[in-house]
Amino acid sequence: MKTRFIAIAALLGVVGIVALAGCGGGGSSSSGSSSTSGSSGSSSDFASAADAACTTADKQIAALGTPTQSEVLQYMETTETVIEKLHSEVQALGGEGTAEKAYTEALGKSVITLNHMTNAARNENYDAVREISDELIELKLGELAETAGLKVCAEVPVTES
Amino acid sequence: MKRVKIIIVLGGILALLTSVGVAMATTGATTGYPQPKVVVPSTVSAPYEQRYVLTAVGSGAGIRSGEMKFEFEEGSSPEFLVGISEFYSYSPDGAIETSLFTFYPFTELPGGKGLKAPALKVGASASYGQVTPDGELQMFKIEGDKVKGQIRIHGGGPWPVEFRVLGDNESTGGHPPAAKQLPESEPNNPGWGGEAAEYDGEYELTNGAANPTEKAGTLGAVIGVAQGLGTQGAVVSGGSMTVKGNGAPATAEVTVETGGSSRHFTLTKLAWAGDKRVALVHDKGPSSPVVGRFEGTGGQGELKGRLIDGHSVYQVEFKMK
Repeated sequence: MKTRFIAIAALLGVVGIVALAGCGGGGSSSSGSSSTSGSSGSSSDFASAADAACTTADKQIAALGTPTQSEVLQYMETTETVIEKLHSEVQALGGEGTAEKAYTEALGKSVITLNHMTNAARNENYDAVREISDELIELKLGELAETAGLKVCAEVPVTES
Repeated sequence: MKRVKIIIVLGGILALLTSVGVAMATTGATTGYPQPKVVVPSTVSAPYEQRYVLTAVGSGAGIRSGEMKFEFEEGSSPEFLVGISEFYSYSPDGAIETSLFTFYPFTELPGGKGLKAPALKVGASASYGQVTPDGELQMFKIEGDKVKGQIRIHGGGPWPVEFRVLGDNESTGGHPPAAKQLPESEPNNPGWGGEAAEYDGEYELTNGAANPTEKAGTLGAVIGVAQGLGTQGAVVSGGSMTVKGNGAPATAEVTVETGGSSRHFTLTKLAWAGDKRVALVHDKGPSSPVVGRFEGTGGQGELKGRLIDGHSVYQVEFKMK
């Protein structure tokens, strides 16, 4: 009887240690990541890296100018590629703050919307291109960028005909 | 277990057949029209039992595109035709609207020139199945796969129309192509008024809307481009116009801003009649190819209308400074 009690106690002890170790692991990992995201240095790193990516994207978009009728599809395809790359770059930065996440998520949604717009342009359904672009307006990507402290990403690329 | 499987499979087949049955029932387009008092002999009406796509229309009708289908009423004896159509029209503010019409009852045009039928509008506000007389469609004799005619709708017209008969397996996919706009009584007086002093000068845009790209960040440019596409008319956030004549043929330099984009156009061959104002649109100077057309109204230092540049439409209103 005594032996059985000792065995059970030992077993519970082992389970307890394993459970604590598990919690500890999780805790340390989570505290590690929270310290990463919480540090203002990281946040500014995200901002500067994202703004750098936006600078490149803005230049590429501005260089497209305003497309003529025959250039609309090519314009849409290129813009989709540029924004897709921008999203990959920003996502890779792993912004952990709420505003950074919101911006990254909106950027991801915009890639899907741009793909729909490109497909509509491919079908020469320009009314649909316009209609779908309302979804891009609703994202308010510039506003989200501003909230996340991204100055360049908040600006509209200036193009001229 | 085997029995259960059989029941499931049979149930699936039954569900599939039921769904097909529903689809077939809903595609039977014309039912319930009473036998007309005057019946067109089927030898005359049978060639018109077709599906059509609109290929040309008088510009005054404001119809962008459309398609229609004439078919004999199911189970009618003697057989009589009923037509249904879907037209995409420009509303007064440039937005695109769908207009549904039923054409019934058909009668012969004098001299065996073709068929005609009242255009009965199926309004969104009308009760289900309710139609209101809104004009008339005339279809002249079919020549090959083409048929000309004329239409009166919304209290206006008649406007010339041209349709092409669609092949059995042909479909517009629900997006009939834009029909050619046939010019009608084009203004042909040079300039935009009797005296150059009436229209020469600097104008400012008065219908500037909020910039849709303002909070769009990197997406601003593509939104600006996309919002300028289609038939509805771009959201113009700013712009200006300078009209110069001084004895020479008048031209206008127009700048419109849509989102992050700024577009510049040169308008040539300015012409007027009454309050109508038209011009040709170039996007790279007066000697560059024509890319579109300006159509609108004006007078007394004001001008408003649609500036069309390929797939882009700009709804503009200017006032002389």
